[in-house]
Amino acid sequence: MKAVILAAGEGTRLAPLTNVRPKPMLPVGNRPVLEYVVEAAAEAGIDEVILVVGYKRERIQNHFGDGDAWGIDVTYAVQDTQLGTGNAIVTAESYIGGDFVVLNGDRIVDASFVERVIAERERTGDVVMGVTRVDEPELYGVVEVENGRVVDVTEKPPVHAVASEFVNGGVYAFGPDVFAAIRRTEPDGELAITKTLDEMLESHVIRAVQNPGPWLDVTRPWDLLTVNGQVIDRDGGRRAGSARVDDAASVAEPTVLGEGTSVQPGAVVLRGTALGENVTVGPNAVVENSILLPDAVVGPGVVLRDCVVGANAVVGANAVVGPNATVEGGAADVVLGDVVHRDVRLGGVIGDNADLGGGVSAAPGTILGNGAEVGRGAAIDGRIAPGTVVRR
Amino acid sequence: MCGITGYVGTEDGIPIVQETLRNLEYRGYDSAGVAVNDGDVAVYKQAGQVEDLTVPATSAASCAIGHTRWSTHGEPTDDNAHPHTDCSGRIAVVHNGIIDNYDDLRAELSDRHTFTSDTDTEVVPHLLEEELTPDATLQEAFERVLERLEGSYALAATARGHEGIVGARQDSPLVVGHADGGHFLASDVPAFVEYTRDVTYLEDGDVVHLTDDDVSVFSDGRPVQRDRRTVEWDAQAAEKGGYDHYMLKEIHEQPQALRQALSGRIDELGGDVELDLSLPPEFVESVEEIQIVACGTSYHASLYAKELLERYADVRVTTSIASEYEFSGGRDPWSTLVVAVTQSGETADTLGALRRANAAGARTLAVTNTVGSTVTRETDETVYIRAGPEIGVAATKTFASQVVTLTLLSVWFGRRRGSLDSETAAEVLSGLQRVPGAVQQVLDQDARVRDVAREYADEEAFFFVGRDLGRPVALEGALKLKEISYDHAEGFAAGELKHGPLALVTPETAVIAVLTDGGAPEKTLKAVKEVDSRGASVLGVSSADDAEKYLDTMLSVPEVGVAEPVVANVYLQLFAYHVADLKDRAIDKPRNLAKSVTVE
Repeated sequence: MKAVILAAGEGTRLAPLTNVRPKPMLPVGNRPVLEYVVEAAAEAGIDEVILVVGYKRERIQNHFGDGDAWGIDVTYAVQDTQLGTGNAIVTAESYIGGDFVVLNGDRIVDASFVERVIAERERTGDVVMGVTRVDEPELYGVVEVENGRVVDVTEKPPVHAVASEFVNGGVYAFGPDVFAAIRRTEPDGELAITKTLDEMLESHVIRAVQNPGPWLDVTRPWDLLTVNGQVIDRDGGRRAGSARVDDAASVAEPTVLGEGTSVQPGAVVLRGTALGENVTVGPNAVVENSILLPDAVVGPGVVLRDCVVGANAVVGANAVVGPNATVEGGAADVVLGDVVHRDVRLGGVIGDNADLGGGVSAAPGTILGNGAEVGRGAAIDGRIAPGTVVRR
Repeated sequence: MCGITGYVGTEDGIPIVQETLRNLEYRGYDSAGVAVNDGDVAVYKQAGQVEDLTVPATSAASCAIGHTRWSTHGEPTDDNAHPHTDCSGRIAVVHNGIIDNYDDLRAELSDRHTFTSDTDTEVVPHLLEEELTPDATLQEAFERVLERLEGSYALAATARGHEGIVGARQDSPLVVGHADGGHFLASDVPAFVEYTRDVTYLEDGDVVHLTDDDVSVFSDGRPVQRDRRTVEWDAQAAEKGGYDHYMLKEIHEQPQALRQALSGRIDELGGDVELDLSLPPEFVESVEEIQIVACGTSYHASLYAKELLERYADVRVTTSIASEYEFSGGRDPWSTLVVAVTQSGETADTLGALRRANAAGARTLAVTNTVGSTVTRETDETVYIRAGPEIGVAATKTFASQVVTLTLLSVWFGRRRGSLDSETAAEVLSGLQRVPGAVQQVLDQDARVRDVAREYADEEAFFFVGRDLGRPVALEGALKLKEISYDHAEGFAAGELKHGPLALVTPETAVIAVLTDGGAPEKTLKAVKEVDSRGASVLGVSSADDAEKYLDTMLSVPEVGVAEPVVANVYLQLFAYHVADLKDRAIDKPRNLAKSVTVE
């Protein structure tokens, strides 16, 4: 069976990290979220994957090539403008001849979930929707299920109207007839597959299959740290052959060190941390529960906790980002879009190519834009736009 | 320059050989052909690309040879396409290389044989026809033919009534692939890598006989064992992966390629470089001259390296275009190191230069991308650039990887010759580690470069200028543009502009200036002012903000010190790509050019 994986989205809530890469390419455990999805598909017996790409698609193509490294064939269908998940599925139409599954490229699921959805399609021939339980169903498409059948789908209902603990798991099985159904759906600005499914309920049986495994969703910057920690715990630590850890440095388990990383004398890398390729952690720096993207440089004596450091960013000597930057430490209030998220655990996000001078202190929850320059000794907090120059 | 392939096994040979030919099209693509042997021999060949070759959809033949051609002797025509046959049509031969004595052989054969092409190759099937008497085996006859040939060749032949394929190698690459249920023969590994990674590289003078269940190699008529090895690199990466062109794919692969070039080689704390070289310390300390030989893009990388070697290793360095190189007077071979820089490791001009250096008694070192290539066997030492396969004819990622690898080599020499202290080395190396990220930053500006390309595409000519380390990049930028967009493009040392080329600068031309650290931007800016007053549009790739007021367009280069020109070069690659793409050129296969040029 073929799988269509939706990976054309931008993920604006994860800016600035998604200003230069699509959301499915954000790394957890040093591998893009999308790679876990592709692997789950491959493990479930899928041998051909159509990746629907659009926003910053070069990043996806560079990583997956023709899929040989995963033992599958990968082809790319380009969705030029993001017009919703339904539109994305239609983009792949010319590659589909029979039954197929659809997966979201930004939700990590186990192969067993995909296998169950495929099995249900094969057993019944009906449209199948994978559902999963989550803590905050109001953030997703809430699905009401009766006797294994979907009876209602409501996108992001108000909290008081949540009628079920199940939400759309982002795994579906369809036959080629779905394309016509999507085309019949009237778009509300964008064309969401859930709207088509809701309409199909009038005339079709839609089977619900429950997710037997974890369901890891990265929507907000702190989710990235949580999911990073979860996959490192689950899959164990790894240290690439060319990673250099000085004898006088200390790297706790489980952590992930990519090719060409360097951990210098006295540095301490603590649990939950993933260092991308060619990352340098300078002498006596402390890095805990953080994600460092490729080519980032952490200077001597820096302290990073609960941080995401963008690719090629430089954190100058003795800078402190996260809890230790303030006396209060710990949780922060973070604004995403027009929503204030209170007491979240996020040390900070340093954008790609940003440059923090020596002795900078960044309060918990700081989100520094790509390419921003922060002068020596400055104290920053809140959201700072890309390219900003901050002087003390 | 051509590619040859062969397959003997249990499956239909035609689609397999067609696939292998498609994979080798980077070696040449003006004509293609296939010969199959199912007891009888049939040949299908024509001018044009492999895609256009008309062959039966299926066949019963599980033995086939194929060829993709880049013309050296004779126009690209159907007749000149390989395979070539004897008068009876029972023998088919494919060839890469040049038979030097073909005039003599042809004169000798022409009273008894009818020649149908203008190629040097055609003498081979006719000679084979004479030798393949009823009691001779194909291999015996073939070996007798080889004794008559002078020149360079990778050959494969098959004949009616004889099982399998015979092949031979002399100064042209030839590799055997061992697959389940069959064997492959090809000019290069990517030909058959979907089928197997288990390969044997043949050596000069080897003759090989392939059948579906056996591979026998002979040298001087005696059986020999040649090592089998597993090709590590992901040759499937050689497919386009969602990009319109290999070239764009390869441009975008540079951050990863550069990380690979650096990975595990840098000891930033110790300020040293680890390269797997066994040059004796006393030689390294006493070497008086390093001579670099290379062609094309590799030559530009060498010009870059020359500056760095002189700077860090305090040694005299000369850079020669390989075809011009001689081991000239006034040198002591015992204290000279000759460095050959070649992506493919098969560049005939570079190998020729290397042989002249070897003959003079100099020690030699190869800097290449291709494990097991000829250059690695003909030099004392090898440093790999680890860029992964490059298919686009216009070299892109391998230039960046060559420069970075050669910079590592400069630091390696500097530290061992005592001319570079560990602190300076550490500084250079930490700058080098910033290059992959800086290149990514440039790649993130791809859409902007396309807009700039649209603005400049219709200029009548393009002059690239730079100084110091910016000069090789100016030369390389011009080479890329002329290779793929066919525009008139020249690279100059910025200071030379006023000594002549300035006469060509008009309001209808564009000047592209490299204004970065390591490229003496203040001085280059003087040249910019000179052309500005002649009305030319000036595009600057620059890390100096104050340059902007003299430029019509500025592309901003991240600050990474002396490596900035190589980062700036990525803009020039994207610029060339987009100009060519806007003009709808055959970017991966520019006219008249082939990827690795294995003829001198």
